[in-house]
Amino acid sequence: MTAPITDGDARLPGLEPVELVVEDLTVHYGSVQAVRGISFVVGAGESVGIIGANGAGKTSTLRGILGLIPRRAQTLTLGGEDLRRVAASQMVRRGVGYVPEGRHIFAGLPVEKNLLLGAYTRRWRGCGDQLAEVYELFPVLQEMRTRLAGALSGGQQQMLAIGRALMAQPRLLVLDEPSMGLSPLLVNDIVSVLQRLHATGLSILLVEQNAKLTFATTTRCFVMDQGRIVKTGLASQLRDDPEVRRIYLGL
Amino acid sequence: MQLFFQTLVGGIGFGAVYALVGMGFTIVYRTMGLVNFAHGQIAMIGAFLSATFFLDTKLPFAVAAIMSMAATAVVGLAIEGILRPLEARDFDLMLIGTLGFGVVLEAVATRIWGATGRAVPAPVDRPLQIFGIIIRTYDLVVIGVGAVATVAVWVLLNRTKAGAAMQAVAMDRDAATSVGIRVGRSNAMAFALGAGLAALAGSLAAPLLYVTPSLGSSLGIKGFCAAILGGFGNINGAVIGGLAFGILDGFAAGHFQQYSDTVTFLVFAVAIMVRPTGILGELTVNRA
Amino acid sequence: MTRKAAGLVLLAVLACLLPHQLNIYWIHVADVAVIYGILALGLALTMGAAGQVNLAQVAFFGVGAYASAILTTHGWPFWVAAIVALLAAALVGLLVSIPALRVQSHYLGIVTLGLSLAFTNLVTNTALTGQADGLNSLVVPPLFGLNLSSDLVYYYVEIVALALCLAWAAFVVHTRLGRRFRAMRDDPLAAASIGAEIPYLRITAFVLGAVFGGVAGVLYAGLIRYVSPASFSLSSMFFVLAGFIIGGRFSLLGAVGGAVFLVLLREELSNYEAYAQILYGGLVVVIVVFAPTGLVGIVRSVAKAFKRRTERFSEGRAQVSDEASPTGLSARPYRAVRLSDGGSLAGVADSSAALLIEHVTKRFRGLTALEDVDLLVPAGQIRGIVGPNGSGKTTLFNIISGIYAPTTGTTEVFGFRTTRATSYRLARRGVARTFQNLRLFGRLTVRDNVLVALDQSRTIWAWRYLLWPFGVLRADAVMRQEADALLALYGLLEVADSLPGVLSYGTQRRVEIARAMARRPRILLLDEPAAGLNGQEMHQLAEIVRDVRASGVTVVLIEHNMGLVMSLCDQVTVLASGRVIADNVPEVVAYDEAVIAAYLGESSGDNGPRPAQVNT
Repeated sequence: MTAPITDGDARLPGLEPVELVVEDLTVHYGSVQAVRGISFVVGAGESVGIIGANGAGKTSTLRGILGLIPRRAQTLTLGGEDLRRVAASQMVRRGVGYVPEGRHIFAGLPVEKNLLLGAYTRRWRGCGDQLAEVYELFPVLQEMRTRLAGALSGGQQQMLAIGRALMAQPRLLVLDEPSMGLSPLLVNDIVSVLQRLHATGLSILLVEQNAKLTFATTTRCFVMDQGRIVKTGLASQLRDDPEVRRIYLGL
Repeated sequence: MQLFFQTLVGGIGFGAVYALVGMGFTIVYRTMGLVNFAHGQIAMIGAFLSATFFLDTKLPFAVAAIMSMAATAVVGLAIEGILRPLEARDFDLMLIGTLGFGVVLEAVATRIWGATGRAVPAPVDRPLQIFGIIIRTYDLVVIGVGAVATVAVWVLLNRTKAGAAMQAVAMDRDAATSVGIRVGRSNAMAFALGAGLAALAGSLAAPLLYVTPSLGSSLGIKGFCAAILGGFGNINGAVIGGLAFGILDGFAAGHFQQYSDTVTFLVFAVAIMVRPTGILGELTVNRA
Repeated sequence: MTRKAAGLVLLAVLACLLPHQLNIYWIHVADVAVIYGILALGLALTMGAAGQVNLAQVAFFGVGAYASAILTTHGWPFWVAAIVALLAAALVGLLVSIPALRVQSHYLGIVTLGLSLAFTNLVTNTALTGQADGLNSLVVPPLFGLNLSSDLVYYYVEIVALALCLAWAAFVVHTRLGRRFRAMRDDPLAAASIGAEIPYLRITAFVLGAVFGGVAGVLYAGLIRYVSPASFSLSSMFFVLAGFIIGGRFSLLGAVGGAVFLVLLREELSNYEAYAQILYGGLVVVIVVFAPTGLVGIVRSVAKAFKRRTERFSEGRAQVSDEASPTGLSARPYRAVRLSDGGSLAGVADSSAALLIEHVTKRFRGLTALEDVDLLVPAGQIRGIVGPNGSGKTTLFNIISGIYAPTTGTTEVFGFRTTRATSYRLARRGVARTFQNLRLFGRLTVRDNVLVALDQSRTIWAWRYLLWPFGVLRADAVMRQEADALLALYGLLEVADSLPGVLSYGTQRRVEIARAMARRPRILLLDEPAAGLNGQEMHQLAEIVRDVRASGVTVVLIEHNMGLVMSLCDQVTVLASGRVIADNVPEVVAYDEAVIAAYLGESSGDNGPRPAQVNT
């Protein structure tokens, strides 16, 4: 389904990976506090994961960073640029690519139109290179380019959502639960894709309930519970840590 | 036989008008989530502008209609700003708020053009004879223009970046925002498009009906019925529903004369109760 | 309370004195204004209280007026004709309510609007109704020798009529029927789940609105003594709607006041008709955007702000402001009550399971959400249903609570087949539920939320409103006592008069549970009850659930918070990808390999030693 992993894939020039710094982020939904003042850093070119059970506040963290919901933060910078006053629709121009939870592809539009919309902030005429890059990463999308996105399977839609985010040539790729609803086989494909993207030097922030997937594709992880970060560590260490399971299963 | 075809063509003619009203209304609903009960009054303003350009400035009918569409689209941009806060309100408030705005528009039109209204002669007068049946040429003009406009809307929505943006916003507002679409700007353009279509509908309807400030209510209500009949929120549905409603209205007028409204709305009420989602099924907007 | 009563008395006195300040022309205007006030009252009941879009109100007005006119023209005595006219209006209201059973909001708006136009079209063209010219020279209503052709005398008759109408409308709104209306308006789904018969309520709402419209119509025919289609047109419909909104759509007095205000305003600006239209059209838009609860709402907010400012200077009532935190007003901590009456649990020694689910599969257009799921919940158990995102647990819960029907398979509650039962029918079978997103009735106080659930009567009971109102009042008093007892049990008495919106999330959750328990259910379904709760609130939630079970109620909950589930539930069923992968006591389930794999990703057996060994 995806091309084999190769090292040092060439990236188009002028797109340096950047650092994301988050300090004291809080998110409220009415009277409920979903994120209670968390801080973390995604280094330039680093792949970082946030894991935790449902309701821990992972999605709210992402949506807060992206400005899709109201939030407060002491610091929120991307490559040194303050994101706090940036409108949600301008995040793409600042280099943030977003793959939302549940895919949220434009179901009534064809696959290629979906991808082109990913490059909305650029001239469509000059998008040929990016489009080719995405089709090379996900050959199945090229096969289905004229099909309506809603007709694709869950796994294919996930590929489309990632491809769409890549079309804007992001410097930071943010993914929310890409494995949700996918079979273990498809989850392996997601792992390959994320590893390959990481190899190109892209900064990645991955939010997942599936801890194993996260450990396989990231270098550092945070575990969230009830709106707070309760554990941090290297993916290689957390993989064998029984406390992670305790946090998930509430023991 | 002659009567049947005349009624049918006339009904399709009116159907084209309702379809245009319904399309504009649906585009605004799908993109902004706004159920705009003042849409008919926008069509009425388009009708008056067109009549003024045609009768007073003596411009050719087509030019008058196009200028009216442009002017109404610009006015539409201003109106969108006023109506935008209503998007966030619940449906009842939205209904009453837009109804109120419609009253304002109607009153403004009365101030500008007076309450008595004007009759607009059709730009083409000679009746056509097809297979021995006499048909009013203007009806065919309306149907033709309506068809062209529908195709143009299709091209705009499916072959342009702005149209893709409008569709994206209609399907998933948050996802559209995260690919960089400015939802507010896209919605304003969608509203202008809807207003332009309403103005076209009004301009075409002017020779068929008497142009008065209250034209807005009847065009608006029938346009909404058309959109609902075809499938609320479904642009194709607006076209199908428009034609269906026009034909229903035409035959009701033919058979029941003055009672046509009674029959039309009773049939409509029953149809909606039988199948609330309309002919093609509804597409609701996720107003999360 | 007495301040309100004093205000009403003052209004009544002013109303009686008013005509002596006016000349004959303005008395006539006042007469028309009162009629529109009664018409708006009908809107306040259908739209304001019951939430039914009613753009046919002016048609009911017309039916009343025309029926009265036609009958009196044919020689019928006025008041007999008036009664028949009211019945005719009620009948038309019944007919118009039928679309409301199928469609709501803007659909209903267009249908009722269309029916309104149909009515106007009908009377404009029928000989019986005088066609476009209407019927004139109608009789003067006779009333004990009073000269009702005098507008002044007519005014006092109308004031009495308005007072009676207002009193009766207030009676409806503040007792059980009105509460049901308002619950249906605020959240039809939740209302159905606590046993409200939505279709009958909608019919009743329209009939009531129509009767008020009919009263207005009869009075109109008697006053103007000329009816024509022009008086019942779309612009009249909008006019009364505008008055209703501007005055305050959730207030009876507001609706009346708004309509009266607009009539007087229109008359004042009668030489500037177009400007007047712009004014009140614009006023409607402004009100909708900036003050959706109308002028009455503005007055209330101002009064509340004023009261809060004076309170801040006083020392008493400090306890109320102390409880208020940034997250909302909190009830006092829940005190666990282990009911010593173990008899209720013994009574549940049913041989039939509380809940039995067999081979349930649910498919949605190509997606299989549930595959061959079996579940047996014995009476008196606390059962947890868990699973990662997309496992199908929410779908299963919705099938249990009647929101979905399974594609194949059966469900049974205490031996009764409930496979295709709606949430309303399940409520009648003793199933109560709470909702993940908290579906409290936002415009009802905490006490009213509980009262609606306590009310187990069928809608047909409403005939007492017309014929035996004292029965209604008495039943209400009894229910109020029961409600207060329940509120005290849940520690909610102090916040009983608050609206849910000002309460903290944990307290709102508690109110929802109390409301569900007011139905005296046999099974309580809790949908992610811990969502949004802090540690202390979660502890209290666990206490409440244990007490609920101790009172003999079976509890089934779905939850993400594993800590709560493990400590609270007797048995846990784990779903993943639509199938049951584990079903056992919490201690066993927590270490089940399949469960761990489902939550954390495929395991390769390297999850380390069990915590018990690590801790030693």
